[in-house]
Amino acid sequence: MAEEILKLSNISKTFPGVKALNGIQFSLNAGEVHCICGENGAGKSTLIKIISGAYQPDVDGAIYFEGKQVKLDPFSAMNLGIQTIYQEHNVFETLSITENIFAGMEITKGGVMQKQEMEQKTRDVLEYLHSDLKPDQIVGELSSGEQKIVEIAKALVFDRKVIILDEPTASFSASEIDNLLEIVHKVKARGMGIVYISHHLDEVFRIADKITVLRDGQYIKTIGVDETDEPHLIRDMVGRDASAFYSREFYPKGETVLEVRNLTGNGVKNVSFKVNRGEIVGFAGMVGSGRSELMTLLFGGAEKLTGEVRVLGKKVHYRNPSDAIKNKMCYITEDRQHTGLFLIHTIARNTLIANMVNTKGSFINPKQEMEVGNDFVKKLGTKAKDASVLAGNLSGGNQQKVVLAKWFNTDGEIFIFDEPTRGIDVGAKQEIYQIMMDLLKQGKAIIMVSSDMPEVVSMSDRVMVMKNGELVGELNRDEVSEENILEYSIGGKKI
Amino acid sequence: MKQEPAVSGKKSSIFRRSDLAMVLTILIGFVAVMFVIELAGGQFKFFTANNWLNILMQNAVVGIMAMGMTVVMIAGGIDLSVGYLASLGGIFIAKGVVDWGIPIVPAVILGILICVGLEAMLGAIIARLEVEPFIITLGGSIAFRGIALLMCQSREVVMSGQLEGFKTNLIEGAKAPDGLSMTLPIYVVIFIVIAVIVWWVLKYTKYGRRIYAVGANPSAAYLAGINVKNIKLSSYIINGLLVGLASVLLLSRVGTAIITNGERMEIDVIAAVVIGGVAMSGGKGNAMGTFLGVILLGAITNGMTVLKLQSEWQFVAKGAIIIAAVAAGAISSRIAARGEIRQQKQEALAEQAATAEDK
Repeated sequence: MAEEILKLSNISKTFPGVKALNGIQFSLNAGEVHCICGENGAGKSTLIKIISGAYQPDVDGAIYFEGKQVKLDPFSAMNLGIQTIYQEHNVFETLSITENIFAGMEITKGGVMQKQEMEQKTRDVLEYLHSDLKPDQIVGELSSGEQKIVEIAKALVFDRKVIILDEPTASFSASEIDNLLEIVHKVKARGMGIVYISHHLDEVFRIADKITVLRDGQYIKTIGVDETDEPHLIRDMVGRDASAFYSREFYPKGETVLEVRNLTGNGVKNVSFKVNRGEIVGFAGMVGSGRSELMTLLFGGAEKLTGEVRVLGKKVHYRNPSDAIKNKMCYITEDRQHTGLFLIHTIARNTLIANMVNTKGSFINPKQEMEVGNDFVKKLGTKAKDASVLAGNLSGGNQQKVVLAKWFNTDGEIFIFDEPTRGIDVGAKQEIYQIMMDLLKQGKAIIMVSSDMPEVVSMSDRVMVMKNGELVGELNRDEVSEENILEYSIGGKKI
Repeated sequence: MKQEPAVSGKKSSIFRRSDLAMVLTILIGFVAVMFVIELAGGQFKFFTANNWLNILMQNAVVGIMAMGMTVVMIAGGIDLSVGYLASLGGIFIAKGVVDWGIPIVPAVILGILICVGLEAMLGAIIARLEVEPFIITLGGSIAFRGIALLMCQSREVVMSGQLEGFKTNLIEGAKAPDGLSMTLPIYVVIFIVIAVIVWWVLKYTKYGRRIYAVGANPSAAYLAGINVKNIKLSSYIINGLLVGLASVLLLSRVGTAIITNGERMEIDVIAAVVIGGVAMSGGKGNAMGTFLGVILLGAITNGMTVLKLQSEWQFVAKGAIIIAAVAAGAISSRIAARGEIRQQKQEALAEQAATAEDK
């Protein structure tokens, strides 16, 4: 049996108010690829950060490296030989491959860099990986797939023992994925242990030796790759108990308010769907599947290449968000601090800003502005003394209510909610859901993008599943379940 | 059990409650210090009506340019080119009148239009290409200096009183209590009128709101239906108009067009705007603050001259006051933030105690 390099025993991680991980078991052998699977928010990233030393686990667990108990911080993890390759690139784009690999760890003799020696080592590793890359190529000019290879080459040059790959193939083409998996095989053959995380189950089944499944921060199981298959794995990843779901009322559906036909652009490919009055159409999919990109495109924030959008039966063409607002659209973005609010301005100013394109006249009456602001503070139950409070001084849930006030003030009909309850506590969540129900009751239509599985399952009338910028599945109310959504979003199933 | 909602932002420091508080506090502080000094000396030179009119006269040009800079900076930009642009505008007008024989009115209009055109060009580059305004306007500044020097062949152009009209005394014959006659030139009134217009536009128009929104958060502004690029461009055009006007008044005051007229004026302009409470990061501040900032910096220079401080030391003192003022503002808001946390802590403790009692 192969030698065990890394072992995590009963690892938990508590953040203020949230238990992100609870009692995780994990073990990695030399020459093994161990995949971690789970939905968005299952705790994969937190677990990686614990292995790489970025987070300290709660005190009741233990980490063993080659049999010895260790305490990890980013430096000691690196010194032990654990290299983490994060999803976002951590390369120096203006430096060459060699300079990237040896950045901060240059080989020197008497203070002089040994350029040739470093280049030779780089060349050896690149050759071992059968890569066409040359040591003096500038990393910024490489594709994202090639940049990933540079990061892996770094781990080989320094003879690391553990490599963690976090979503390495996001935004890769098919041939780049093949290439990367090939390289992972070679790395494995050198006796390194590899922790591999991917949303794509086909990749997992091509590369894994063992799979560990997490769900909502809980350890579910570790299983050999030949003991399971896609449907079983998905079942392990879902299967929450009923208390995680919300119950909502359903309202009669009205006319079609929004119809999208073959929309392409902003990384979205050929998407068609309809939204009716009185319903919530949920958009599910893994992070990076193109959902937010679709919404930005719908709202005029990116250039449409082909396709058409109809609002209330009329063909519309948005050149910018201003046109979208005039056509009764509202966009509650996923990042309220950066794209939703003016944090240094008052609630009142935030409330009125989006409706300016719909109102006539050039003047503002600050008194009236404050009245409208106060009105919405009362109506939505925003916890602030009045609308003169700065938006930046509010909590997440209350900031979200200010964003909602901004759009409710426009008399919009189509509401796009992108991650409506991200970073919001449970109580405020319920209030936001209630507000969404009120909108349906008034005959408005809602498009909801969410990575929170219970939210998608419980709140949606219908669910559209996206993957790689395409619509891969449409589920009606009676078909909406976690399994079905996951089968489309990470499994191989297609419409 | 009905729970009282937690209210945020109810307490804040005097500096945070109003954008004007910082500049007002320093202004009052400075005036008080001057008062004590003059009282001790037994002779009032700073506190005379004539001296205060003087301060307004000395700072009207910087003040008008500061109003333009206020609009640019609230929209999230900055403009380092205004100093040499003011020189350039003046040189063009003087050259036109003295050497090319253009009548004064069209020359002035052309001068202003040139300032507007050049600023529009810089603004278009900044807004359309989304490049750093700091560098673009720095480049503009250097280029404007070159154009101005080329136009006058690095020499001065002497006017023969064609712009005297701007110096017309509006209170001819009025006497101060000490018997000296007083002057209120028309250009001081122009400065005040411009300040009021800018203040009003920023506060009471949709356009003003959009300026603030673009400066505070351009992506949120775009998604709220605001044409961010046009708003940015327009802020530079307004700035160009005001710099053009300032260049006319500057020329009228000095009587001679020369490159040094506006040299380094952008430093005073930006200092006044920032000390008046406009955020370097945009979205915050107002014209009233800028007005007070201009008066404050003017009063400091004037006060030190009245006290016969060596001009070298005046620079040191002025710089120190600016640094101290901004640092004090930051310290005050830190103290306020700490106070807020302390208060929240007490509230949380009280709540805990209350729940413990309930049990």
